[in-house]
Amino acid sequence: MTTLRNRATRWFHASLGARVVALFLGLLALVQVASFIAIKNNLREQAFRELPEALAVAEQVMTAQLDAQAAQHSQRARVYGGDYAFGTVVKEDAETIRSVLEESAKGRTGADEVAFLGPDFSLRASSGRHIGALAPRARSLAASDGGDGNSSEIMMLAGAPHRVVIAPVKQAQGELQGWLLMSFSFEPRLIADMRALSKQQFSLLVRDGPKEPWRLALSSLEDSRAKALAAAVPADDRADMRPVSVQGEMIGLRSQWLAGGDRAGGAVLGVVSASIDEATQVPHPLQLSLLLTTLAGFAVFAVGSLYTTRRVTTPLRKLTQAAERLGSGDYDTPMRGLGRSDEIGQLAQSFEAMRVSVAEQQAQNLRLAYWDTLTGLPNRAQFGKAVAQAIAEAGESRAPVAVLMLDLDRFKHVNDVLGYHFGDLLLKAVGERLTQQVMRDGDLVARLSGDEFAVLLRSGDAALAESVAQRIARAFEQPLTLQEQKVDMGAGIGIACWPDHAADADTLINRAEVAMYAAKHRGSGVLMYDPALDAASAQTLSLLGELRQAVEQDELRLFLQPKLALGTGAVVGAEALVRWQHPTRGLVPPMQFIPFAEQTGFIRQLTLWVFEASAQAWRDLHADGTVLVLSVNLSTRDLLDQDLPAKLERLLLKHRVPAEAFCLEITESAIMDDPDRSLETLKRLSGMGFKLSIDDFGTGHSSFAQLGNLPVDELKIDRSFVMSMESDPKQARIVQSIIDMAHTLDLTVVAEGVEDAKAWDLLRDLRCDQAQGYHMGKPMPANDFLAWSARWVERRRMPGAAATTTLLH
Amino acid sequence: MPAVRIVLSFFATTALVQAAPLSVTVTDAAGKPLADAVVMLEPATGKAPVKPLPDVEISQAKRQFNPRVTLITVGTKVAFPNFDTVRHHVYSFSQAKTFELKLYAGVPAAPVVFDKPGLAVLGCNIHDRMAAWVVVADTPWFARTAVDGTARIDGAPAGAYRLASWHPGLPANSAPLVQNLQLGGGEQRETVQLAVDAAP
Repeated sequence: MTTLRNRATRWFHASLGARVVALFLGLLALVQVASFIAIKNNLREQAFRELPEALAVAEQVMTAQLDAQAAQHSQRARVYGGDYAFGTVVKEDAETIRSVLEESAKGRTGADEVAFLGPDFSLRASSGRHIGALAPRARSLAASDGGDGNSSEIMMLAGAPHRVVIAPVKQAQGELQGWLLMSFSFEPRLIADMRALSKQQFSLLVRDGPKEPWRLALSSLEDSRAKALAAAVPADDRADMRPVSVQGEMIGLRSQWLAGGDRAGGAVLGVVSASIDEATQVPHPLQLSLLLTTLAGFAVFAVGSLYTTRRVTTPLRKLTQAAERLGSGDYDTPMRGLGRSDEIGQLAQSFEAMRVSVAEQQAQNLRLAYWDTLTGLPNRAQFGKAVAQAIAEAGESRAPVAVLMLDLDRFKHVNDVLGYHFGDLLLKAVGERLTQQVMRDGDLVARLSGDEFAVLLRSGDAALAESVAQRIARAFEQPLTLQEQKVDMGAGIGIACWPDHAADADTLINRAEVAMYAAKHRGSGVLMYDPALDAASAQTLSLLGELRQAVEQDELRLFLQPKLALGTGAVVGAEALVRWQHPTRGLVPPMQFIPFAEQTGFIRQLTLWVFEASAQAWRDLHADGTVLVLSVNLSTRDLLDQDLPAKLERLLLKHRVPAEAFCLEITESAIMDDPDRSLETLKRLSGMGFKLSIDDFGTGHSSFAQLGNLPVDELKIDRSFVMSMESDPKQARIVQSIIDMAHTLDLTVVAEGVEDAKAWDLLRDLRCDQAQGYHMGKPMPANDFLAWSARWVERRRMPGAAATTTLLH
Repeated sequence: MPAVRIVLSFFATTALVQAAPLSVTVTDAAGKPLADAVVMLEPATGKAPVKPLPDVEISQAKRQFNPRVTLITVGTKVAFPNFDTVRHHVYSFSQAKTFELKLYAGVPAAPVVFDKPGLAVLGCNIHDRMAAWVVVADTPWFARTAVDGTARIDGAPAGAYRLASWHPGLPANSAPLVQNLQLGGGEQRETVQLAVDAAP
């Protein structure tokens, strides 16, 4: 049962139709109930208007009937009283009279009891036991003759109401012989007649004394109802109709004292009553027609609302199905019901618009999935598929397939400097240029990501690939002109060929990428894949992870290489260098990870690490009373980092070290990558109090003119000049000029790569300011620096020990 | 007048001068035997000599006539002794005999002679319920039915007769039911059905 009800409930909630039907039927039921109530109220009002009147009439009927009956009884009594036979008897003995009363008078008049009274109203004889008791009232009863010869009254006799009449007994001569007193009980017929005349209910109630309850004597009502009515009638008398509740039914009644109303004895009450409930009840035919109307209305409404809701829900269901089709990816089936102009039609049209839009979206997504929106070239996914397809097509013939991978140099820089919009235009231009270089049908140019492009050459062997690559490289030598700006675009190109370098498409693309990275790394334009490259490449990849780990697990070590004043031989500073104490590979040389860190950008973390370690070292040295300037190298990426000054300042504050304690070394090329931005950073750093130094001076393209604009304090002559100057006087002169010019610009000059006393002396003679090199000290762990410094000072004090002395390490 | 069915049966086919007994069974409308019914057998022609019965009494006791039905022959004297403590006023307005015994107690001085045939209905002037019937027969052959509804008439010679039957239960003022009857030599049975309502 419960499940059935639940199912019904679910159906009801899930079905719009069911609810609409329920609503309509509910409303109809409401209307019908309202009209039923209205009719009932109407009837009630009418009943309350008409009932009192009807009861008043009924009461008149009762009075008239009682009067008529009284007249009839009186008449009979008078007739009998004038009867000759009876006249002959009245003088006889009481026994005979009694027998006559019993045998004759009762029979002829219909009286219950008869008494014969003398002319003086003295009781002479009586039939029955009770009537004799009325003899004392006979005189007044006889006097009550209203002129019509009728003397009668309703009296209680033996606990029941009776009509008592009195009539004279006269002889033919008119001589009064005595009186006949007769009592008549009320017959049901009388009540039945009243009811037949007035349609109302009549009851005679009696009581034996004023304090006694009313008892039922006679009633047209059924017995139990009449008794209940008797119990409900109040003791007083009122003429107006009053409602009384009898056995749960409202009854209106009027009552009339018939006897004993003003006496202490028994009393008789005539009651006229009518059922208010019955009068106010909606008649059965009307009820039936109401019911039929309701049922017919229910049927019509049910069918009508079902039809209406079906008109709505059927298209809704179809739309639901259509939406489900859309949900499952079917965008091709058009909506139905577009022709309707109502809300459903509008909904269908909206759905249709959505379907079209989603279908377009889907197509767009597909395009996005396989095409690069910027250049309109295939993307990496499509390129991968094309390569795989080319290999599959090549199949048994083993006709080679070549993949060229190309990555622009300094694209990020272009983006940073000229803005992303320009970068986008550049990428489009590059795409176009690439497409121009690849002439054959079936070859494919794709943009894989960012500034990375690829070319697929079907049936392309290594030689062809190489020549195409060279053609592309040459094409890139021409500067691109975009928005009136000339841009030099270099690119690294890697080549890999199937089946020589790889067995499948993914690997082929990977290998081309490896070759490309190697090409970029070497600075050579085009590079064919070689397994050796891959090894390095794999090493590189793992290196990055390991390098991160090195920072986290404290595997980096700070090394210091002393910088000495050439004039005095005093230790004036040190260059901070990083070494990697690898847990398994041992001490990893800087060349094996610094360039890589520069490529990947990890150099920024390394720079900060070195700076912080240097700051700590400086504090340690300072605590020992040694005041040095520590040189820390900055890379291109550091210079392009706008936050660098702030980061360094935080570290200075953290370790409570002044900026003047540091010299920041920058290579020429680092500055030249983005001179404006670098200059900005350098100015800020200089402003903070850092000394700035140009590292490897002489290897780049920088000019002294540029140097003059830079806020630098120091110039480091590249080791290549220093090492060759001993053997090459030309080089020596170059060094001489550099030193002189630097001095003109108030720059301190530092020589690197001083490996022997001869170089030391020569540099000192050339009035170079400071020297750094193995001759004096190799880079050493920071902890060892103090001990080395002490030894160095000690040796310098030794008599005869020249600054040129070869130093022990 | 309700249909009266008469069943005749002859026990002898030869006519005999000698009298033959006649049994008459009287039933009410429902066919039940009626007691106190009167049957009289009169010759179809002529008249049989009738003698008055010896003195007959109709008493009044407990405000009732006793007996209620009295069957006498013409000329019979009937006395009306009153055994009640109350007085009675016996009268008859019937053509057979009109008389009135005014209020009296005890035995009236003279009996009443019923000198004409017919039915006299008696009443008491002051006691309405008192009623009695005197059937005055002008034939020597009559009888009243017993409890079994049967009366036996002896001594009538064979021949043609009228059989008159009456019962107080017949509607007031009803004449006796008369039917022709042929008496044979042997014992004969008759059944007469009267329009008397079945006794309750």
